[in-house]
Amino acid sequence: MSIKSGYFKKGLSVDLGSGSIERPVLSDDFIEQYIGGRGFGAKLVWDNLRKHDFKINPLGPESILVVAPGPLTGVYLPSSGKNSFAAISPATGLYGDSSMGGRFGVELRQSGIDVLSITGRATDLSILFIDNDDVKIIPMPDLKGKNCLEAEGTVKQRLGTQAIHVATIGVGGENGVRFACINTDWSRNAGRTGMGAIMGSKNLKAIAVRGDKDIPVHDVRGLVTENEKAFRYMREHKYFKMWQQEGLMNVIDYANQKGILPAYNFKDSVFARHSSINGATMLAHYKIGDSACFACPMCCGNICLVKNGKYAGTVIEGPEYESCAMLGSNLGIENFAAVLSANHLCDELGIDTISTGSIIGAVIEGYEKGILSLSDLDGREITWGNEEAILEMIRRIAHRQGIGNILANGSRGIIARWPEMDEVLLQVKGLEQSAYDSRPSMSMALAYATSDIGAHHTRAWTIAKEVEEGQNWSDEDKVDIVIYHQKVRPLFDMLGVCRLPWIELGLSERHYANFYSCVTGKEMTLDGLMSLSNDIYNLTRLINCHLGATRQDDSLPHKVWANPPLTGQNAGKVIDQHDFNRILSLYYKRRGWDEKGIPPASLEKKFDN
Amino acid sequence: MSRKLTVIPEECSGCSICELVCAIRHFGVNNPKKSAIRVMITYPHPVVRMPIVCSQCKKAACARVCPSDALRSIDGVVQLIKEECVSCYKCVEACPFGAIYAHEDCELPIKCDMCGGDPECVKQCPKGALRLIPEEALGESQRLNNVLSYAQMKEIEFYEKGEKKTIRYAEIGKEEL
Repeated sequence: MSIKSGYFKKGLSVDLGSGSIERPVLSDDFIEQYIGGRGFGAKLVWDNLRKHDFKINPLGPESILVVAPGPLTGVYLPSSGKNSFAAISPATGLYGDSSMGGRFGVELRQSGIDVLSITGRATDLSILFIDNDDVKIIPMPDLKGKNCLEAEGTVKQRLGTQAIHVATIGVGGENGVRFACINTDWSRNAGRTGMGAIMGSKNLKAIAVRGDKDIPVHDVRGLVTENEKAFRYMREHKYFKMWQQEGLMNVIDYANQKGILPAYNFKDSVFARHSSINGATMLAHYKIGDSACFACPMCCGNICLVKNGKYAGTVIEGPEYESCAMLGSNLGIENFAAVLSANHLCDELGIDTISTGSIIGAVIEGYEKGILSLSDLDGREITWGNEEAILEMIRRIAHRQGIGNILANGSRGIIARWPEMDEVLLQVKGLEQSAYDSRPSMSMALAYATSDIGAHHTRAWTIAKEVEEGQNWSDEDKVDIVIYHQKVRPLFDMLGVCRLPWIELGLSERHYANFYSCVTGKEMTLDGLMSLSNDIYNLTRLINCHLGATRQDDSLPHKVWANPPLTGQNAGKVIDQHDFNRILSLYYKRRGWDEKGIPPASLEKKFDN
Repeated sequence: MSRKLTVIPEECSGCSICELVCAIRHFGVNNPKKSAIRVMITYPHPVVRMPIVCSQCKKAACARVCPSDALRSIDGVVQLIKEECVSCYKCVEACPFGAIYAHEDCELPIKCDMCGGDPECVKQCPKGALRLIPEEALGESQRLNNVLSYAQMKEIEFYEKGEKKTIRYAEIGKEEL
């Protein structure tokens, strides 16, 4: 049975260099095989690479940026506001994608397209305005240097309407910071792998969208019935209210208790003052409201306001766990207001909170160890918990001033300049590690090492099982759970929905097969979807192999082998390199890749059309 | 008994589930822009998330400007009589709250009909930001708040070791902090 609905079957291809705007028709085969979101992203990136014989500069005009919601984006089901950005990452030089919540993706779909791809470079700093069927490239050179929110406001004012959604980049993206993000709806970010730098390299400051069309759904009645089951399950869950109140901030206490919270650049995995930056502190002193992405009953977003002190008046949507841990405990900051301020600054300048926190942590440790001298730091000392120096460093990175000019090139750039910094940087493939310590968890270490975009938890998050149930289970089980996660989690990014209802509230992933069937009219099982998701994992692996990634790149940060956390329940634990290599070989075998981690050449045919 | 649909903006998370269920119920399509309720969001100063929905005014501005008398109050709900409507959209402009909507695909203005007395948006709001309450209860929480803030400052008398003392409610427990 084939696709009956769920898509407009139309793409939009914009070449900012020539100004050409095309509307390719998407074939049934294409949408059935790649589904949407990250699937469309990987395929279009692959096609573009082959067109250029795998020789592209991620920040060159030939590079393609794919903006793709999924078939379930904007549909009446839990948390359907997701949208993916995909390109060759300027941080890793390999495949990269990042998704954002909010409403931008919904608006994009409602304009009547399933995927937007952007190539070329505009002569002047410009915006792309998609007003339903009307698409324009509008030069707005005076947006240069504006922060994300200010740019969003100015674009709305110039276009004469508030009823649009705008994705913008900040100074970080303009300056090609390798971990610049794309920001929408005030503070929803596609943070990782430097998608903002790609926009900046195209001289594209913002994408503004207005869409009024019906999102095609084959069986609305069936969808409502299925969704009522899902909503009821979520509402009745014992942690539902807690999620509404604290959102991801509840993870701070959990991570600290389990000894996986980054502290002092992962020198430690517990933070003595964690209670000053946790969910309870936020609720008691800072939170003023909830914020949800489209159609999400969980509303994990927190709106926080600093009411007094030197950061008074700072108001942000956030923080969430990653930002709070990476800019808080990881830098030794115990003042929640300062964490909010740092998060706010990153949002405004348009740089990723995880990478920023990780890199500044490495700089502080590098200075402590004498790898960096005071003159490397432009004469400005930086130490753990020194709020002012840290905030200043964030500004210097985004504006590429002094040492910031090197830090802005990400881990790879830093190691190229100071090779010894490799010891203190926590990165895989050039992407800085997110806020879960993998030293007590072999499966999490494997997940970071084999993630297609680098050390991010988005592909597999298996750490909870291991810190709760201990490490005493077989290699096979550890490999299998990583592979299972690597099939399911990217599937959410393909469908254009959030994975939190599944991973946090345990909403069965089977619902999503039913949702897909209702929306497209094509009967689909979860296994069917997982197999398609697995194909995309193979595809991104192929992309990376063609771009030169080898088994050596499926490695882990130096610290994970050599420096155990100092205190807490996981004190003394590191990952044994020999054990890791054994499990990595097993992982390749289970995936059907060879000993070097290369998928069979016959697989490539699958992605020809 | 007439019941009113009220909004508690402080509770709203801006998820737009109300918009979706409204459009699905009235048009059978998945399009939040075909709904009779919209969440307006402002940020960063001030941060407000507020669903805008018809108040079913008894002296309705929309009905007053309607040239064809298509808006009529029936059982406490201002109803749009489709056969009478000429689609001039005067009501959309006249509503002081902007609670009547227009969409290119739709011939008629989109106006809340209270779903026959059991609004779908109220049932599906995950935050309880939309409530259906008896008309008499309108303003009750404000009244109660007013009383509580008065009581906070009120002095009460009590005896400690036989000695008569006074304390304000607002100060009870403060010295322990």
